[in-house]
Amino acid sequence: MEQLDGRLKSPPPTSDGRRAMVVPLVLLALGGLLAADLGPFASPVPPPTVVPAWAVDPTPVRRPSLRPEIELAGFTYRCSDCHRLFASPPETTRSLTQHRDIVLDHGINARCFNCHHLTNRDAFVDDWGREIPPDQPQLLCAKCHGPVYRDWLHGSHGRTDGYWDTRQGPQQRRKCIECHDPHRPPFPGLVPAPPPNTLRMGDQTSPRSEPAVGSPLWVYGPGPVDVDRSRLSEGDP
Amino acid sequence: MSSSPIGSGKRPGGPRGSRGTGLSRRGFLRKGAAAVAGATGLAGALSPLRALAPADWPTLEQFFQSHYKEMTPPEKQAVLERIAREVKARYQVDAEIDDPPPLVGVEYVYALNISRCIGCRRCVFACMKENNSSRAPEIQYIRVLKMQKGSIDVETSDHHYNPPMVPEHDSYYMPVQCHQCKKPPCVKVCPVGATWQEPDGITVIDYDWCIGCRYCEAACPYWARRFNFAAPQVPADQLNVNMSYLSNRPRAKGVMEKCTYCLHRVRRGRMPACVEACPTGSRKFGNVLDPDSEVAYILRHKRVYVFKEEVGTLPRFFYYFDERGSRYREPISTSQPGAEL
Repeated sequence: MEQLDGRLKSPPPTSDGRRAMVVPLVLLALGGLLAADLGPFASPVPPPTVVPAWAVDPTPVRRPSLRPEIELAGFTYRCSDCHRLFASPPETTRSLTQHRDIVLDHGINARCFNCHHLTNRDAFVDDWGREIPPDQPQLLCAKCHGPVYRDWLHGSHGRTDGYWDTRQGPQQRRKCIECHDPHRPPFPGLVPAPPPNTLRMGDQTSPRSEPAVGSPLWVYGPGPVDVDRSRLSEGDP
Repeated sequence: MSSSPIGSGKRPGGPRGSRGTGLSRRGFLRKGAAAVAGATGLAGALSPLRALAPADWPTLEQFFQSHYKEMTPPEKQAVLERIAREVKARYQVDAEIDDPPPLVGVEYVYALNISRCIGCRRCVFACMKENNSSRAPEIQYIRVLKMQKGSIDVETSDHHYNPPMVPEHDSYYMPVQCHQCKKPPCVKVCPVGATWQEPDGITVIDYDWCIGCRYCEAACPYWARRFNFAAPQVPADQLNVNMSYLSNRPRAKGVMEKCTYCLHRVRRGRMPACVEACPTGSRKFGNVLDPDSEVAYILRHKRVYVFKEEVGTLPRFFYYFDERGSRYREPISTSQPGAEL
């Protein structure tokens, strides 16, 4: 009796069957959709980045000879070749007739003989008028730039090329004038290598240097800070 | 009361009546349709495998390769030879793949002078070239942040800057890469032990063990880990053939990668590629356990800034300053270029 009652209470078999068929049919349709080739996958991968040869060149920005030489019309002369014949006026700040290509923009250090030896033009001059050999320009620069010279001596300023482990290979410390032009010492500006072009970095075509509109960096960031320049310049003459 | 379901004759295919065959007509249709749908769905889900060339099918030795730390020397040698064969097949170049061990008594430390960095991104591209980083999609280990002077807030920094000339007068630059932390959160979260810290302080990844869950990427406070969302592309003629297992060998789609301080170079005494490329000499690298090294001097004597020190990861990467940022100053001289005094 109980079994009979149970069967009578169950819903009509036809509607039950229809409903039960829905799930397999939907699965079948989904499977068919997945199996069908829906055309080529549109990849969001940007075109390959080119590594520019100029951006990976480890050559120092300057290649001074560290010798008291000058190239004129394809010939190499020692400085003394001319200067033993033509004496320059001491303490000159006047217009030069020679070396017009040299632009002296070294702050208050605006006299040739602050650095070049007055009588021996193949050498630099130290604070006591003695000669500094031309391949030791750091001794000359150290006359004024004491803290930088100290840092350079210990390796915290300036380039160190070669091996970090001197037991395994040679190491070279680059000297001052291998990066700085002594007549115009600030490190030269460079053209930056291209900015990153990764998948999640927003609109790369925006000419602005701030994150592009729509970039997650822009949406969630507070935006550029307004730094009070006048306040900064007061404390930093 | 005495009536039995069999005797009723109304539903010969009912549950009771189907006991003999075990399947009713409706049940058969239902289960059959479900099975067909399931099989079709499975086939559909597996259909991308059709695009896989037979050469790309994983071999048995790839499948049963041990974890790096569990490999015996002969096994490791076999794996290195297999990788060399794969590189040859894929790029038609002969690569020298090695696995240099960590040097004894060496702990690498990196120092970067943010008074001198000009943001030229030479390091970024030297790194890409050295480490065979994917060109498409682009993967770069170093991110150079352009910071606003007077602010150390990286939230307002910008790494997409592209002026005609750097440095810009109102900015300073802070390159960020893997800090090789002493307490690396990326290692802590890895569920499979595919990344770990070597005795010389470099955190490395076994690319063959990584499952690509990207937990480490989320855990890293320096955004230093990169994920291969697609198969990495490197032109064969630009491939760096000096490879090592733990650093710059070609990676596969779906694994993490990161800066290893150019492990294959520094364990042979050389500088990392980024140090070598820096035109300003802002980047300093060496053995901090050697008291005469440049980095040891910098840590003892310079003003040093630890990025996100408060997260307690104890990085082996330090930023330092000079007394005066002379390059930011306008030239003291009032003379114009070319004008004589």
